[in-house]
Amino acid sequence: MFNFLNELKKNLKIPQELDLNGFNIINIAGNLLYVEGHLGLVTLSKELISFKVKKSVIIVEGKDMVLNELSDSTLKICGKIKKVEQI
Amino acid sequence: MKLRNISKFHIHGLNQEKLLNEMCKNFTLFDIERISKSDTFFECSYFDYRKIEKFIKSHGVIIESVSHEGFAHKLMKIFSSYGLVFAIFISIILYFFQNQYVLQYEVVGVDKLSEKEIVEFVKDEFSSKKTEIETSKIENALIKKFSCISFVSCIIKGQTLVLNIKEKLLPSEMYGTFAPLTANKSGKITKIELISGTLKVKVGDIVQEGDVLVEPFTLDASGELKKVEARAEILAEVYNEGVSEHYETFVQVSRTGEKRVQSEVMLFGLSIYNFKQEIPFSLFETECEYTNLSKNLFMPFKLKKTVFYELVEETIVSDFEEVKDEFVNKAKIDAEKKCESQNILDEFYTLRHIGGVTFVNYCIVTEEKICGENK
Repeated sequence: MFNFLNELKKNLKIPQELDLNGFNIINIAGNLLYVEGHLGLVTLSKELISFKVKKSVIIVEGKDMVLNELSDSTLKICGKIKKVEQI
Repeated sequence: MKLRNISKFHIHGLNQEKLLNEMCKNFTLFDIERISKSDTFFECSYFDYRKIEKFIKSHGVIIESVSHEGFAHKLMKIFSSYGLVFAIFISIILYFFQNQYVLQYEVVGVDKLSEKEIVEFVKDEFSSKKTEIETSKIENALIKKFSCISFVSCIIKGQTLVLNIKEKLLPSEMYGTFAPLTANKSGKITKIELISGTLKVKVGDIVQEGDVLVEPFTLDASGELKKVEARAEILAEVYNEGVSEHYETFVQVSRTGEKRVQSEVMLFGLSIYNFKQEIPFSLFETECEYTNLSKNLFMPFKLKKTVFYELVEETIVSDFEEVKDEFVNKAKIDAEKKCESQNILDEFYTLRHIGGVTFVNYCIVTEEKICGENK
């Protein structure tokens, strides 16, 4: 099956040592955040959603955020997204 | 009705992130909205809701509410309504059971034959079960039974047996009841106009009410008896008699105007209170009237009011000659009531005196039709 992100990774000329297989995050217009490869929720509230990814935690700050979809490996956050931070 | 089949949960409990993480390993969750630290709303597929419910309960989290949307839920609700399912099931059984039978009979095209007679014949002779009905047999039986049927077709349409009948076209005199024509009044025959049938009387004959005038058959040239409708127009002199009686002496009872009233209160036919005035009259008549005192049925009190009217007897002596005209008129009015024709030939009256009673017989002789055409 065609996967846009996989195709993008293949075509990029980047150093071998960089790991691109952990997770993917796509922020669409600051209103929708699509995440692939999450490893579980850490915090869930309207202003802050954080989740684990490979070797780190992603913190999403925003307003009136709703976890629109949550499955084993993907999640979608809807709402006003102000900041996405990896720690 | 939404076609998206979803279940919406409201859960209450701590450490919900952990629960959601575990749940999302097996199910996809939608629109997760945390309204407070311990309350969260989320949606899942309707088909997963039982498993999710079990999962949540096993993790010690309280389910505050579960609501469902979508066609599947509505459908399942119908199937879980056992009364409805049972009723549908019974209806289907009854429908299939009664569908095997003819429930209605429709007869088309009959004019002279009785629809009821045909339907009763078919009902008596043939089964109403559709599988046992042979339409050709019904057709043949109907033609055999009713000689005036020239064509019949029988079909089963749904649960109706439709009988399309064409009757034989006979000469008009062949129709009718084939009953003899009888005199409906006594009199002397003056004129006969025979249309069909065999005449049994002639002009000048005196007939009584009920006498046969025309027989419903004819003899053809070969001497064979042929049934026809008896039809004729027969006129006769009819003696219409009116009577009045005059008594020389008679006793007349009349009210004097004096009355007494007695009242009683009744309950279930028993008198529970009464007010009775003494009746000083030697001759009286009474009138009773019941009135409901209460409107309820538990204690139906009734007031019985009895009025006693004083009567007086008076012997009246009357001379017939003084009131003769009045009694003759009375008898005449009585005779006129019996006249059906305006064609008056003669009128007269006779008087008979027997033991103080005078009978006035007034007779109006008219020419009248004493038999009509059979209908």
